[in-house]
Amino acid sequence: MKNLIEVRNLNIAYGGPSGWTNVVQDVSFEIAPGEAFGLVGESGCGKSTVAYRLLGYGTINSLVQTGEVLFDGTDLLKLDAASLMRLRGNRIAFVPQNPTTSLSPGMRVGSQICEMIATHKALPDGMTMERRIVELFTLVGLPDVGHRYPHELSGGQQQRVTIAMAVACNPDLLVLDEPTTGLDVTTQRQIIQLLADLRSRIGMAMLYVTHDLALLAQIADRVGVMYAGQLVEVAPCDKLLSAPAHPYSRGLIASIPTNDGTDRQARSLRGMLRRDEMSTGCKFEPRCDFATGACRATPQLLELIEDARSVACMRWREATAPLAPSVTAKAVARTAVRSESLLSVTELSLSYQQPGLFNRLLGRTSPAVVREINLNLAAGEVVALVGESGSGKSTIARAISGRLPPRAGIIRLDGTALAPSLKDRSVEELRQIQYIFQNPDASLNPRRRIRSILERPLEHFGIDADENRLETVLENVGLHAGYLDRFPEQLSGGERQRIAIARALLVNPKLLICDEILSALDVSVQARIVELLRSLKETQAVAMLFISHDLAVVQQLADRVAVLYRGELMQLAETDMLLGAPLHPYTEMLLKAAPGLKKDHYVSRPPAVQGSKAIPGVGCPLAGRCPRQIGNTCAENRPPVQVTPAGIIRCHIPSEALVRHSSPTDHNGQAEQIRSMS
Amino acid sequence: MSVITTIPARRFSRFNAERWRATPGPFKVGAVILVAHALFAILGVFWTPYGFAEMGAGLPLSGASWQHPMGLDQIGRDVFSRFMHGAHIVLMLSFAGTMLGMVAGTTLGLLSGYIGGWFDEVTQRIVEAMISIPFLALALVMIIAAGPALAGEPVLIVFVVGLVYAPRIVRIARAAAMDIATREYVAVAELRGEGTWSIVFREILPNAANVLLVEFSLRLSYAPILIGALGFLGFGIRPPTPEWGLMISENRNLLIASPVTVFGPGLGLASLVIGFNLFTDGLSRMLGQRPVAGA
Repeated sequence: MKNLIEVRNLNIAYGGPSGWTNVVQDVSFEIAPGEAFGLVGESGCGKSTVAYRLLGYGTINSLVQTGEVLFDGTDLLKLDAASLMRLRGNRIAFVPQNPTTSLSPGMRVGSQICEMIATHKALPDGMTMERRIVELFTLVGLPDVGHRYPHELSGGQQQRVTIAMAVACNPDLLVLDEPTTGLDVTTQRQIIQLLADLRSRIGMAMLYVTHDLALLAQIADRVGVMYAGQLVEVAPCDKLLSAPAHPYSRGLIASIPTNDGTDRQARSLRGMLRRDEMSTGCKFEPRCDFATGACRATPQLLELIEDARSVACMRWREATAPLAPSVTAKAVARTAVRSESLLSVTELSLSYQQPGLFNRLLGRTSPAVVREINLNLAAGEVVALVGESGSGKSTIARAISGRLPPRAGIIRLDGTALAPSLKDRSVEELRQIQYIFQNPDASLNPRRRIRSILERPLEHFGIDADENRLETVLENVGLHAGYLDRFPEQLSGGERQRIAIARALLVNPKLLICDEILSALDVSVQARIVELLRSLKETQAVAMLFISHDLAVVQQLADRVAVLYRGELMQLAETDMLLGAPLHPYTEMLLKAAPGLKKDHYVSRPPAVQGSKAIPGVGCPLAGRCPRQIGNTCAENRPPVQVTPAGIIRCHIPSEALVRHSSPTDHNGQAEQIRSMS
Repeated sequence: MSVITTIPARRFSRFNAERWRATPGPFKVGAVILVAHALFAILGVFWTPYGFAEMGAGLPLSGASWQHPMGLDQIGRDVFSRFMHGAHIVLMLSFAGTMLGMVAGTTLGLLSGYIGGWFDEVTQRIVEAMISIPFLALALVMIIAAGPALAGEPVLIVFVVGLVYAPRIVRIARAAAMDIATREYVAVAELRGEGTWSIVFREILPNAANVLLVEFSLRLSYAPILIGALGFLGFGIRPPTPEWGLMISENRNLLIASPVTVFGPGLGLASLVIGFNLFTDGLSRMLGQRPVAGA
């Protein structure tokens, strides 16, 4: 089969004050027409740089560049601007990572698509522009939203618009740069589903760049694994996932948390990608378990090991052999002793704006973002808050930490009610609740050294700040005293998050609020932070409120899980019970949407009752989306709280009925859907 | 903040040829002009060819010559000596005035941006009222209000420059603070129960420094013009002292008889302002380029 695009010996280097940095080295791969090729690796490995070159883009920034990118026989790297312009969007189209920033905010989305078609004169014969745009919207599963502005659409819808824009000219190749990274699990799965569907209908090839191997499992035919600017393994997707040959691929796959209950922590990657300590030989040598002296000296080149599969490792035979997922019983010591409750939240309701005097006189209230949450945390227990974005997880955390005074409800710590606002809480209470933020780039003051970042809280809370204490806490989070005199910008994302954790731990808190602390990090770094949190939980006996949208991570860490949807607590249950038998329809939806390491033919289930929106503040918020909705009852009445053996659940369907449905069907139900689809 | 003992100067120390080459062109040109001005001003304090107030140094209005490169004024004072001696006065007045405006404006602006609410509302209305008055008019009103006792005192000029600048700096500092206040490290400090002053000066100020530094040098570059204008109108420094604006004003009648007496101070002012502007331009480019995570 003739290749659609071929990358040959691509080398890219950036020049900086400290000399040349090789960003991409000797990368060669090819994509056949209609094929989906995945490019995966940790951040900084050069995958996006390669992807941009496939559009002939970014050639000005790099100072050294050799090799060629052949598209239909022409080298894109040598084309002039005018011919590139004809090619881009028309035959090679791009779907960017962040749709919010890549759609022009002041322009209706319809005219943005129109612009694309007009530039390339790609309007099919005998068709008006309006009809074509509507057709494209239908193709990506949107109603006619052409007259809307980007901010009027949700993140998922925006990404659909950018996809519609990309396929508007029926391109031969679609380059996708992490198109689902910022999206919710369920939305992410719908986008993947859409892409797979588009591919089969239009027959275009795809280059899918991501750091998420589990996603690639769902969509890619072949996968290239990149490390430090080199391709280390190219293999068909299923083969790579079942039997990775390169030690790095192995580590990467082992780092992915999965829902299947196996514990693979032992084999995750150690260390991190450091471009400054590269050996002349194999780039991965410093982190490799299989490394020998020969590895350090000999550069490893990609060689064919079997049909359509190549790997850049001289010891791949040893590395392939023993990957049997060790199904150990999970050794997480569940804190069996439900000691006294540390934190208790009763009937908590929150809204963003405090009603002003005028509105209060008129009896007007702003809509509640979070309604009547009841939650208990025992000392040393980890409770996870799970839900899609906008479900109010972080809002609850803000209320507990005191940054958002609640509209109603009481928050108790150790039996004493906490003051609603931060100003009225005592220093001691502030010390006991520590908050770790999502983005370590923003939560450490960039103009202060690590030492003063760590010392300030100690000084503030009147704790003796000696050198030993700082060193110990750094060691606890896996760093050393050498970090004290650095600035945050000199640290990697994972290291910064460790500093943030260290800062929180330093003052001996009783409760740690972790607000999506893993979502800004790479998979391999994530795995190690989870490991760190697990050991902290055992050694320091600190309770955690762990906010996440990733059920797989939650499973490794949490004792109990609270599932939230649009500010309502849908379910609260023991982790094992919840994941084994989700019961609540929404929990079920979330679990199914989380991609596993095998192709799972995910089909989102259509809502049982279309277009029945819940009456705000009264009905079940899931109404109109729930696949098991019972008539109008759900939309009009508040679902009752039912007590199940493992926790509580808020649903109209009796819990017995939920049990009967959910436990045996997990697989049968899916099989049925697949049959009905084909 | 107790034990920062670790050579913080290392990053800035030593003149580095590599770094100098990497700086943008305008910055280099501006820096050279400013250094020349500074050296000239220092020299002018200690030595001038003639005394700055010495009358009869030569034949009045005799034009440029080797002895008197900028000629002589009506009463026979050597303009070049006056020009040299005036250099440090202009520089110091501009610097002190801008500094005063900077300190007052930054403090008020950062507080206003961080605290928000009614404090912000009140501050901003006052600031807007002050900005809406043309700066020269505002300066004149203040000088007149200060009364004759203070007229012509350097302190008054410094205060006037500071007060004219402060409201403009308040706006910039406020905008920066409002942005930085949404950062999570500020939230971390709030969750720790830190006070307003501590948050403003420990967390926000260091991160607003980029913006404020550029604003400072921009304001500094206009200060000689403001001071010169006041001098020209006769509201500036008292006459025998050779302030450049005042010198232009004194000699403007001689523009036809001996134009060279006006050129000197005029060129001095122009080159100083141009130097400041180029320097600022390069500085803002350099600071803008520098990737600071989260800032």
